[in-house]
Amino acid sequence: MPLTRLISALLVLLVVVAPAQSAAAPKPSAKELEFFERRVRPLLVRRCYTCHSAKSKPLKGGLRLDRSSAIRRGGDSGVVFVPGRPDSSPLIEAVRYTNAELKMPPKSKLPASEIAVLVEWVRRGAVLPPDRPLDTPTSSADLKAAREFWSFQPLKRHDPPTPAIRTAWPRSRLDHFVLARLTQQKLSPSNPATRRTLIRRLSFDLLGLPPTPTEVDRFVCDQRPDAYQRLVDRLLASPHYGERWARHWLDLARYSDTTASWLKTTAQAWRYRDWVVEALNADLPFDEFVRRQLAADHMRNLPIQQRRALGFLGLSPTYWKEPRLAPGLIKVVVAEEWEERIDTIGRTFLGLTIACARCHDHKFDPITQADYYALAGVLASTRLFDQPLLPADRARVVRDADRRISRLERAVTQVTLRIPAPGDKQQQITRLKAQIEEIKKSTPDFDAPRAHSLEDASLFVLADGQDMTRLEYRLGEVRDLAIHRRGNPSSPGPIVPRRFLEVLSPGKARPFTNGSGRLELADALVDPRQGGSLTARVIVNRIWRQHFGRGLVTTPSNFGLQGELPSHPRLLEDLAARFIDNGWSLKWLHRDMVLSATYRQASRSDGPGRAIDPDNRFLWRMNPRRLSIESWRDAMLTASGELDTALGGPSMKVDDPRHRRRTLYSRIDRRELDTMLMLYDFPIPSGHSPKRIRTITPLQQLFVLNSPFIVRQSVLTAARVPVGARPRDAVDRLYRLLFDRSAEGVEIETAVEFLAVAGPQGWPQYVQVLLGSNEFVFVD
Amino acid sequence: MIPLTRRQMITRMGGGLGAVAMAGEMHAAEGPHFAPRARRVIQLFMNGGPFQGDLFDPKPLLHKFAGQRPEAVRLRTERQTAGLMPSPFRFRRHGHSGLEISELLPHLSRHADRLCVIRSLHTDNPNHGPALLQINNGTISPTVPSMGSWLSYGLGTENENLPGYVVLCPGRPVRFSVLWTSAFLPAEHQGTYINHKSLDPKQMIPYLRNANLDRATQSRQLELMRRVNRRHLERRDGDPLLAARLKSMETAFRMQFAATDAFDLARESKSVREAYGTREFGNGCLLARRLVERGVRFVQIYYGNGQPWDTHHGHNARTASLCRDIDRPIAALLDDLARSGLLEDTLVVWGGEFGRTPTTDLSEGKGTDGRDHNHYGFTMWLAGGGMKGGVAHGATDDFGFQAVTDTVHVHDLHATILHQMGLDHERLTYRYAGRDFRLTDVHGNVIHELLA
Repeated sequence: MPLTRLISALLVLLVVVAPAQSAAAPKPSAKELEFFERRVRPLLVRRCYTCHSAKSKPLKGGLRLDRSSAIRRGGDSGVVFVPGRPDSSPLIEAVRYTNAELKMPPKSKLPASEIAVLVEWVRRGAVLPPDRPLDTPTSSADLKAAREFWSFQPLKRHDPPTPAIRTAWPRSRLDHFVLARLTQQKLSPSNPATRRTLIRRLSFDLLGLPPTPTEVDRFVCDQRPDAYQRLVDRLLASPHYGERWARHWLDLARYSDTTASWLKTTAQAWRYRDWVVEALNADLPFDEFVRRQLAADHMRNLPIQQRRALGFLGLSPTYWKEPRLAPGLIKVVVAEEWEERIDTIGRTFLGLTIACARCHDHKFDPITQADYYALAGVLASTRLFDQPLLPADRARVVRDADRRISRLERAVTQVTLRIPAPGDKQQQITRLKAQIEEIKKSTPDFDAPRAHSLEDASLFVLADGQDMTRLEYRLGEVRDLAIHRRGNPSSPGPIVPRRFLEVLSPGKARPFTNGSGRLELADALVDPRQGGSLTARVIVNRIWRQHFGRGLVTTPSNFGLQGELPSHPRLLEDLAARFIDNGWSLKWLHRDMVLSATYRQASRSDGPGRAIDPDNRFLWRMNPRRLSIESWRDAMLTASGELDTALGGPSMKVDDPRHRRRTLYSRIDRRELDTMLMLYDFPIPSGHSPKRIRTITPLQQLFVLNSPFIVRQSVLTAARVPVGARPRDAVDRLYRLLFDRSAEGVEIETAVEFLAVAGPQGWPQYVQVLLGSNEFVFVD
Repeated sequence: MIPLTRRQMITRMGGGLGAVAMAGEMHAAEGPHFAPRARRVIQLFMNGGPFQGDLFDPKPLLHKFAGQRPEAVRLRTERQTAGLMPSPFRFRRHGHSGLEISELLPHLSRHADRLCVIRSLHTDNPNHGPALLQINNGTISPTVPSMGSWLSYGLGTENENLPGYVVLCPGRPVRFSVLWTSAFLPAEHQGTYINHKSLDPKQMIPYLRNANLDRATQSRQLELMRRVNRRHLERRDGDPLLAARLKSMETAFRMQFAATDAFDLARESKSVREAYGTREFGNGCLLARRLVERGVRFVQIYYGNGQPWDTHHGHNARTASLCRDIDRPIAALLDDLARSGLLEDTLVVWGGEFGRTPTTDLSEGKGTDGRDHNHYGFTMWLAGGGMKGGVAHGATDDFGFQAVTDTVHVHDLHATILHQMGLDHERLTYRYAGRDFRLTDVHGNVIHELLA
């Protein structure tokens, strides 16, 4: 290590260690703790716990290796390690098998790689995490300390800092926070963007669509002082706003148009997508938006159409439960489903990785295994089903038919699996299937629209005969779950009542009593005294990230201890607090952000920012952004004049040449994502996607070069701009259409040169290049 | 530490397929953790699950106890099974090692001294879906990345003009794309699925060739694209993202021809085509050879559409026919790889998602000539890539039902494959949803005894 780096490393160490020196032992660094958690603890669990943990009967040598204090204390023959000195540590001696009297583990020597891990751990000082016993709720003292973490505290407004120098730059409250950080870093804001840039940026941000040339001209020439505010208001009132922002939500909700093949209907998933669009367009307060998605069926006086909101969970991935397998195996499959749902709920709303606590207490966050199973109980008491969107009495008739059908279907399965097979097996099956068809035909409204919905019902995985499995849903029944020790459903621990996370419940979390508890869970998620403060921070940060290209917290779905700290903590707190004060209105939130001077900055700047803050963490300029695949495709369809702007309805396959609607209406297949979407970083909807991982690959450019879609859009766009006598004019019109600006001399020359060689077919070839060019694909 | 080539450096920095990281996103791991023994993998996947007792794990006692159902075989599989059914196929010892291989695989038997046969594999679930997920993605959860994606993520690509991870199947294996999903890893690490039922290279990679424009016209388009984008770039201080996209456009242009070449079997001589046979699996093997020669990291060949090795009835006749289909092509592939020296650092893996029962399947009511799924014990073999040859590791019980000696879990197989590729399975991790995920979850041990 070069000397300078060594010195700076030591300095860092000093800084980190200094505040903790008053305590008995230095506070272990995150890196050391991680080493223990990732390398050492799993090894101890695997190799030593049989004889050396709380559950060992008998406990060998009086030594427990499952708690930090116990490891430090050692066993009957004294301490097991000397920090920093592996060669003097009995633990190392034992695993090295150098002492014939003391060989551990006794049966066979550990592989060299594992011994090396233990040696390394002792050499580095044998750092141990603070004690937290497994399988027990965190003590109230622990909780009190845990609640000190920034994201678990109640929200409060912060006064904007007063600027060090007088400046007219800030336009809104949030600008003061940004400016203060910039000043601290010896940075200054960039110039405002031009009006042409602004309207293009704003249109893509709020609608996901480009502005028309007329809209651009009108805005550029608008002399009124509030021209920009008017533009923002007009865009926020457009129904296309909901389409653009629904897609962001659908990434989080791992929306898919197809559910598992064995579920009844899969063709109506879009009803949930349409609900999201409508809710956003109506500016449904975000707390209500959350509540309805989890518990619309429990909320009184909601029109039946609102049950569509339940698609958030109603379209969850479900995994095949093979009835021929033993119940033990099927219970694991069911537990996988709970985990996926808890993960989605935890990360989407709270930005917490609750699913990490399935097999053990969360390694970093104050979330216990008991917390996990308290929430899993809510999901274990909830069933996915297809709700007919009908008045209650008519829906009841359909539901009754559903039940008779599922009984008959179960009978079909039983006949199929019976051994020995009955002689008239085929006839029996044919007869049963005919009965099913008859019910479908004779039930009024059987084909009525349905929503992927939820109801309270518990799934029981029961043994059937020898050791096959029978699944039984008990309608209206709810249940508390036992903790699965080490995540193993066949090793039940204590039962925990359904309730919210302890750390986010002031005092003590009260058990849920209303059915499955989904409504109480939803209420807790949005109650600012419980999860609501965190929920507000998380959604504010998500919207911020979409507008500015970078989150205040760069781990949008992890606000826990492993997440990144906010770049502008007070700004985030203040904005989230005001968001709640403004009735959780997302449109208010958008307006607050896009009206700011911060948002209106140019993305190009000659200032020192590039050297001081190349990642633009402190927002000294606007971040240029690449269009999402949705916006890019929509922009091409807009340019060619093909775009069908109708709202809502069933999805179409992306590569269907008749599909001229917005990309939002493309069919998303969980099992087989469309090639074009996949190439352009569309998330695989098998789980929650916090942010799209943006890649630049040659396969994407093959699409630009060769796809029939681009070729078609090029031909159509070219046809809209007839070349006529003066190619120069056509090039200029094309630039206005695609880039919202007129073409410059050099650009026209380049075009004319290309067209001269390419001949009459050259025009669409030229357009194709522009549709794939960086200027079309990136927004300044 | 072995020195890196320039291409490797670029790959490491940018991730697979010449991708370039955008604004602080991590795209690929740091490359191998230690010197690799293998640089690429070809996996021959017998989807449906072959019966080990017919091929690599002879069980003469089956004849003695034919039709009986001793205590040892009363194991629960997917369906109910009845008495023991002996394999009608004979075994012979081959090569210097004397490795026992079935008469069904006469050509492969020539390579006996190259095969590292593991007779004691076991997996967790006797149902196709979960077992396919476990052997491809490490666990039964459909939300985690496949092994090929991990390899692509961990090692990048050696040829920017081709996808780093290719999945060949003349049809669609059960569960389909989840078996090569990149899940939460960057999308570029997803397997590129190619249905090689058609052998037209243009059909195999999406948007590979332009239906209307010739190369000269496309060259002019590319030149125009350069000029337009450079002008845009100059005014934006040479923003690296914009530059990266420009560069990847150039790569794409070259890829049109490089990939067409790689996938074009017509460029092989008649004698080579004959050696591999011209059936679908043979074509897959030949394509795999052409791809690894060009630096593709991981090629997986699924035997066929659906799950052809799932012989719940007509087991013996179907097994004989399936083996006729795979025997010559695999032998030809190993011949070619050995001849060119590629076998030194190419790991060939053969097997299914599980094995089959030595007892007959009762469930289909189509006679007693079928075998059920068996997750308690099955055989896979590896060859090349630093594995020992002429070895039979571990053992199943007397009837070939359950792995009993030196058992190897799928996690151990994964740990070993990653190890040969220079990756520590405990260190190849990706942080997602607050956890460090890895292919082997929290399990897996490298089987050091099998390494040459």
